[in-house]
Amino acid sequence: MYELENINIEGQVVTFIPFGDIVGYLTPYTAILFIFAAVFTIIALISKPEKQVDIAFGGDAYYTKNVSVKQMRFQRFMAAACGLATMGGVLSGDVFNFTLFTAMVGITNIGIVASIKNRHILDNAYEYGILAMVGTLPLFAGAAIIVATTGTLSMWILFTPLVTVPLVAKLLLVIGVLAEGMAPVYVAKAEITRAPGAPFILMVHVSSLVLFLRVIEIVISM
Amino acid sequence: MILLYILFAVFAGLLFHGIHRKVIARIQTRPGPPIWQEILHVLKFSFKQTWIPKTASKILFMAIVAAVIAIWSGALYILISGGSLLIIFGVYLLHKITEHGLGLSSGSPYGKFGAIRSVISAASEIPLIASIAIIYLITGSLMISDITAYQASNGILLITAFPVAIAMYIIVLSKVPYSPFGIIEAKEIVSGNKTEHFGVWRAGLEVGFSIKTFVLLATFITLFIGAMPFWMLVLASLILLLTMSFVCAVTPMLSPYDAVTIQIAVIIIVIIYAGYLGVMG
Repeated sequence: MYELENINIEGQVVTFIPFGDIVGYLTPYTAILFIFAAVFTIIALISKPEKQVDIAFGGDAYYTKNVSVKQMRFQRFMAAACGLATMGGVLSGDVFNFTLFTAMVGITNIGIVASIKNRHILDNAYEYGILAMVGTLPLFAGAAIIVATTGTLSMWILFTPLVTVPLVAKLLLVIGVLAEGMAPVYVAKAEITRAPGAPFILMVHVSSLVLFLRVIEIVISM
Repeated sequence: MILLYILFAVFAGLLFHGIHRKVIARIQTRPGPPIWQEILHVLKFSFKQTWIPKTASKILFMAIVAAVIAIWSGALYILISGGSLLIIFGVYLLHKITEHGLGLSSGSPYGKFGAIRSVISAASEIPLIASIAIIYLITGSLMISDITAYQASNGILLITAFPVAIAMYIIVLSKVPYSPFGIIEAKEIVSGNKTEHFGVWRAGLEVGFSIKTFVLLATFITLFIGAMPFWMLVLASLILLLTMSFVCAVTPMLSPYDAVTIQIAVIIIVIIYAGYLGVMG
């Protein structure tokens, strides 16, 4: 039986899944995040996209945007992969696995956005690609510093008072997650208003926020 | 038992919304609606003709209403059972996703702009989670039961961690109806992300939002004043809401730019306070 030493942050372990010496786990906190990510992944799998209404400026006309079946299939696949990576990140009991899943979320998020054949949106997807690529540096640097200073990446040990994780490693992890989960950057650009496919676009935000909430739990616990 | 609490939270939350509207109206020298108006609204919406817009992503359009009610019912359970504060503020951020999904699902441009504003404001609210880290630094725990026990022996956090209380006050204020930070429902975008949800969908949303209001107010009271009998918690929550009604009545709706700027200013205060706590040990 595995138990977290400090249960003052998120409560007792609800369940754990051992993969050899890597043991994933769920607490009440991460279980809620996991269920939330799972529900929205299922919604993305079974939903059809909305027909986005746009106003034609200079008149009283409006038109709706249709998402082609081909585009929908690709967005749906990327959204499902994004959801699985998010759930993996939430379930992870190992910092390196967490960073890998976070990097995968960054890649799938770019895929969701880049599937829309619109020059402005594709320009954006290119910029997110650069952002996510740059973000992997602090993300993996944080994990590297943790293993270099403590000798382990297992959260079961890192969450105990036996090891002290440097503040800089925690900061790098948070910065990496913010860069990979690009929702605040994406939404601040006008291009999101041009992007149809609500159930899939929403996965960009679900993954970003859920992984942010997970990394907050990790850095507070370490 | 938890079902009774949820039913009570729905009733109390809707009544709070009604009182909030009444107080704002009286301050602005208007008669205002009766305080039970929001309860009547929910009943009315529940029996109105309902359909799903042709342009909507149907499953997302419906599921998002259930998600709002589910996450806040869960948060209420955590609050009542003295669980982790981290979960409640996790739910607060997950609520951002439901707001966003709500606006995106219909295909309406008004809904979409409301949804975008929701995530823009999240970008400034996320760092307010630093407040939670400070509470952990002070009390050594994020379990609500431990935090109330800490206050019983060390004095209330409203005084000993005043800057954090201000930050949390802004968080709760940004979520009450007619808030100066309520940019997602500003009238220039009709009803923002709620524009296309009418009839029973709107009734469901109002139920979820009423639980949200009750949970956020009660969480603030529990965190910064401490444990108290349930009736007193409800009364204290109402008094807290009345202070917010005054703010809402005398403050115009901020522009998205100003709302985010003020929230960032609050974050800077919290970070300076965290630095002060760190230096003072």
